[in-house]
Amino acid sequence: MSSQSGRVQMQGVQKRYGEVQAVKDLNLTIEAGELVTLLGPSGCGKTTTLRMLAGLEDVSAGKITIGGQDVTLQAATYRNVAMVFQSYALFPHMTVMENVAYGLTVSNLPKRTVQAKAEAGLETVGLAGYGSRYPSELSGGQQQRVAVARAVVLEPEVLLFDEPLSNLDAKLRRHVREEIRQIQQDLGITALYVTHDQEEAMAVSDKIVVMCDGEIAQMGSPLELYTRPSSAFIADFIGDANLLPCRVAGVEGDSVDVEIGAVRVRSRSNQALGKTATLAVHPHNLELVDLGNLNVIPGTVRMAAYLGDHMEYAVECEAGELFVADHRMTHQHQRGDRVGVRVEAENTSVLPS
Amino acid sequence: MFRLAAGTAAMLAILTTPQVVMGNSGSLNVVCSAEQPWCDLMATAFEKETGVDVAMVRKSTGETLAQVRAESENPKIDVWWGGTGDPHLIAAAEGLSQPSGVDTGELLGWARNMAEISEGSAIGIYAGALGIAYNREVLEEKGLTPPSCWADLADVSYAGEIQVANPNSSGTAYTELATFVQLFGEDKAYEMLHEIGKNVNQYTKSGSAPSKAAARGETGISIGFMHDMVTLASSGFPLEIVAPCEGTGYEVGAVSVIAGAKNPENAVKWVEFALDAGVQSRAVEVGQFQVPSNGNATVAPESPDLASIKLIDYDFATYGSGDTRARLLSRWDADVKDAEKN
Amino acid sequence: MKKTALWWLAAGMLSAACLPWFVNEDAQGPLSFLSGLGTEPGASLLIRVAVFSDAALWPIGLCLFALAAVCFSGLSGRRFAVALTSVSAVSLAVLVAYGLTADLPAGLSWGAFGLASSMLFLLTSGISSLRSANGDAFVVGLIGAVIVLVGLFVFFPIAHVMSEAFELPDGSYGVSRFFSLFFAKEVWHLSCLSGGGSCGPAVNSLFLAVCTGLATTMLGLAFALIATRSGFRAKRLLRMLTVLPIITPPFVIGLALILLFGRAGVVTDFAHEWFGFDKTRWVYGFTGVFVAQLLSFTPIAFLVLIGVVEGVSPSMEEASQTMRASRWQTFRHVSLPLMRPGLANAFLLGFIESLADFGNPLVLGGDFGVLSTEIYFAIVGAVSDSARAAVLGIVLLTMTLGAFLLQRWWLGSGSYATVTGKGDSGRHCHMSRGLKLTCYAVALPWAAFTAVVYSMIFFGSIVALWGYDNSFTLAHYTRAFGFDFSDGLSLNGAAWDSYFTTLKIAALAAPLTALVGLATAYLLVRRQFAGKQIFEFGTLLSFAIPGTVVGISYILAFNVPPIELTGTGAILIIAFMFRNMPVGVRGGVAAMSQLDKSLDEASVTLGANSFTTVRRVIAPLLGPAILAALVYSFVRAITSVSAVIFLVSARHNMATSFIVGRVENGEFGIAIAYSAVLIITMLVCIGLLQLIVGQRALYRADRKRKNQLSPQTATT
Repeated sequence: MSSQSGRVQMQGVQKRYGEVQAVKDLNLTIEAGELVTLLGPSGCGKTTTLRMLAGLEDVSAGKITIGGQDVTLQAATYRNVAMVFQSYALFPHMTVMENVAYGLTVSNLPKRTVQAKAEAGLETVGLAGYGSRYPSELSGGQQQRVAVARAVVLEPEVLLFDEPLSNLDAKLRRHVREEIRQIQQDLGITALYVTHDQEEAMAVSDKIVVMCDGEIAQMGSPLELYTRPSSAFIADFIGDANLLPCRVAGVEGDSVDVEIGAVRVRSRSNQALGKTATLAVHPHNLELVDLGNLNVIPGTVRMAAYLGDHMEYAVECEAGELFVADHRMTHQHQRGDRVGVRVEAENTSVLPS
Repeated sequence: MFRLAAGTAAMLAILTTPQVVMGNSGSLNVVCSAEQPWCDLMATAFEKETGVDVAMVRKSTGETLAQVRAESENPKIDVWWGGTGDPHLIAAAEGLSQPSGVDTGELLGWARNMAEISEGSAIGIYAGALGIAYNREVLEEKGLTPPSCWADLADVSYAGEIQVANPNSSGTAYTELATFVQLFGEDKAYEMLHEIGKNVNQYTKSGSAPSKAAARGETGISIGFMHDMVTLASSGFPLEIVAPCEGTGYEVGAVSVIAGAKNPENAVKWVEFALDAGVQSRAVEVGQFQVPSNGNATVAPESPDLASIKLIDYDFATYGSGDTRARLLSRWDADVKDAEKN
Repeated sequence: MKKTALWWLAAGMLSAACLPWFVNEDAQGPLSFLSGLGTEPGASLLIRVAVFSDAALWPIGLCLFALAAVCFSGLSGRRFAVALTSVSAVSLAVLVAYGLTADLPAGLSWGAFGLASSMLFLLTSGISSLRSANGDAFVVGLIGAVIVLVGLFVFFPIAHVMSEAFELPDGSYGVSRFFSLFFAKEVWHLSCLSGGGSCGPAVNSLFLAVCTGLATTMLGLAFALIATRSGFRAKRLLRMLTVLPIITPPFVIGLALILLFGRAGVVTDFAHEWFGFDKTRWVYGFTGVFVAQLLSFTPIAFLVLIGVVEGVSPSMEEASQTMRASRWQTFRHVSLPLMRPGLANAFLLGFIESLADFGNPLVLGGDFGVLSTEIYFAIVGAVSDSARAAVLGIVLLTMTLGAFLLQRWWLGSGSYATVTGKGDSGRHCHMSRGLKLTCYAVALPWAAFTAVVYSMIFFGSIVALWGYDNSFTLAHYTRAFGFDFSDGLSLNGAAWDSYFTTLKIAALAAPLTALVGLATAYLLVRRQFAGKQIFEFGTLLSFAIPGTVVGISYILAFNVPPIELTGTGAILIIAFMFRNMPVGVRGGVAAMSQLDKSLDEASVTLGANSFTTVRRVIAPLLGPAILAALVYSFVRAITSVSAVIFLVSARHNMATSFIVGRVENGEFGIAIAYSAVLIITMLVCIGLLQLIVGQRALYRADRKRKNQLSPQTATT
């Protein structure tokens, strides 16, 4: 299977439902062969964006092009896109083979081609031999893979995923998302992927677009988003970061000195900062040490949980509650222990407060 | 699914194409308001004799009149045969039927009379006298003596035993009302109807319902047309028929050619056929006991012998007119129906 | 889009060139129109214009040219859409104006019909391309088609008859007579309350309808609970008993009741002989009509409620029970409130059916006058008054509408959705002891009663004279359905003609009704468009109008050109289609609401257009709803009587009209024998339909959907 994947551009795209502005002036480019994820809390407009690209929703304003062709006014039927639905949307009255062959059949391809392509598609997702079963006879993961096969056999320019893993259990989710990424990369299809799970987004994406209230909050590679969040929202949403109010002590290029109480940390920022700012620290960049150490934030352990490969603590301190993930586990602290919290400065960032 | 749709479309095409089978002699659309077997007999016999293809449907007189009115701009019916004469006269008066010009020389007086009133549009084909029927078994069980006169019906012993139709909906009941008025004079008639009304258990909508109820014993006594009663009695019900001693009125069944009929020649042929003595004599074959209008037709032995019944000289012209009708009916509503239990 | 436009243009051209413009009464047989094309009455538009120089047709011919010019012009995109929309709108207007104003020699035929459809669909495809991505030619075309059909066959005829309500005796129009008739004392008087005789028909109708609605709902609920939540063994038999009344021709139940409970009835006789009860006429009047309606309409309530009772999510009941609620408390506070929409629908249907019922009040009403019979006799009675009939029709319609609005208000905007689309593994809890006993106590005697009534009916068809001469005979059957082989097969029974006509008409009406109903349901559930509310109400209208009024309105509207249908089988089919369509709509709406919308979307994103999606995804999944719509419209076409009386003609006589004639004549035996044959025929047909349509849906063992065999699962 091959696919002439296209570059997708959404320019100034808006969607209004009466008074409500679901998507506000969205500009987004997906390079050919790239997998971009729309990530955000529910109601942020990510699914609406996906559906506008699919042609399932009208665009209120703006322009969408796929592979250079303007498709803004084109109905879903005629767009060269395929979609994998949250509910799979497998046709219950058709066999797996009929499901996979559906798009090919309605495009009036010769029977033999349809058969061959559908079989190849099932093979791609590792379900060769399941063709004669009905969807209800498959497990959730298998159904998901049928849905993927059904979409990819059409060799669309763009492949769309609408929270494809949300109906699977945690273990399977991991497995299937790897498969999806594998298939997408093998075929080199341009893909837009919607999810609200940041871990999933980071695992599959070339680029992540975080949306909030119908707007793009930040866009970048998983690494960029994780290490260089542009706002407290992103830092919180992507990395579950602790957000500590701090005082800016000095700026030198993109390195910034901040103070949290008596603790001084050298961090980074690429944004203009005022007198006070917010320091974003990921849980695993905090370390619990003895109170006697220098440059630590004093606090009391309020909660301690053993999770096998790491410990999780909640530490009550002057600046608020800190969430700490300890992967070293050299010492187990108990609830009520007085501890010092050390900040690993190199992986933090300072955000405007 | 496509095949289904295509099949449906094809069938539809066949159905909507007017299926007029063109014999050499053309066709004729008849609405028959007599009983079904008689209708069937007439249609078959007419087809046999003339070669005209008859399309016949049976509808009651009220339904037919309503349909003829609704279709007046583009009538689909050629001939209306059978059924009580009043609606035929109304149709003639409203210009819904047209004179057929058929010779009425052989007909009895009452039939010619009808043709005269309607200026030749409606011609009498049979007559049926109004009478009283009682259920032998019910009356025996209750120990009641059978009535023999209209006046007997007011007897308090018949309380709840008499059934009669409502003249507002039934032509039969209107004939009865008009008969009473002609027999006893208007004021006396309403007085009597009021008294009888106290014994009435139900004013039915349909004119033939009371006798059917009497036949089954649902009521003891009914008023209706005697020929209907004969039909019921001869099919085995314990029904006895009484010709009231004071004399009685009658209906005249009629045949009319609808104004603007599509097949006027064949319609006239039908009227001629319907007036023929031989044809009228055959009614008894299908258990119909009306008195034929052609003087030369043979009368069935079971038929109520009109000669032995005191028939009034029923004034169709007066009592068929809309004004008289409206006046009598509104007085009936006030004096009989609404005052029934007082 | 241009391809679609060209296709419709070609269809229009073809109709104009090759199909007869007017109904040609000389033509017989399906293909005879070809030979008639050369003659004036049978000519097509083209030939009429070219050969017979029919000047009135010129503007239409010009419109066709203009349309062709647009289609073959170089225009594209939005400009083409605007041009196509405006030119086809004008063309359609010209055609309608021609139909309404020109002096037509005969009704318009297939040529005009084809041309009108082509113009309509050119218009809708123009409109669809004016709009953006979701302006789907198929959907807009469907909306256009349904609007035109409903307008033509529901609003147009009804407007005809309703205008009579405002006609004054001198032929002018005004409201004075309308109000005096509408509020007339004889319609509304309440003298029955003060003990002085009977009430007005409007009061009677309303009272009866409320009683019937409530009682059928209660009984239906009892049956539904037994069928779904008890260990009752003979559930199949129960279902069978509840289906029988639906397929019973009118009058039959009334007759059976008279023979059982009339003054000379079997039960009355028995009570008199053994217990010394007086023989009375209690069955005539409110009681009799009420019992007969209860027998006739309880099945409808049952079919509505069984789906709803099963639809209540078991996990909610289980949740309630884990919170220490008893079975009774669970039922009372969880299940019953969740069934509210079902109860409301069942009541509404019982209410409407009772209002419109004509056969039972006629046979059993006695002096208890109701609106439906009053309307009938206002039309056909010795004193006919069509204005009064129309006004009474409006009174009836007002009541229906009132009930409809009341139901909406009662249901409010609360959510009753319990079907989540995910498998629900819980089990319905059984009923509490008290509830179960109550249900059995109510339902089982009733079932037994139904069984007795039906055995009486069958008995009546095989004895010589029901009630008097109980000797066994098959004479009624041979008179109706006799045949002999002496000279090949000849069907000499009296009923064969009407029997075959009835089956043919019903068989044609059923798929068309289902098609229109489900197409409408699709639009209502799946599509958003302006004026949807009014559209929905319009499709419900014909259900609420008494059949007699529908019959007369069809004659008034379709007896003269431009559309002349009286005397054909088509008028019967169309009347059935639009009278029974609302049930298909309701059933379709209910079923489609349960289909996840992402199935449609998946199909569309896979490159299928709306039509393919409907055909390959939605239709197969609606199997049970389609079956229900088919069965219901088939059965209703066979058993309905009031609308039919005026529309039957010699060539197209219907079974019910035959039966009514025999009942009027007192020939109960043959009437009942015919009814018995019809009942069996319908059972066989339903079975066959189930085999053909039901099959595909079976392998998805979806409890919820399987039970939607009910014809009207929801009427909200």
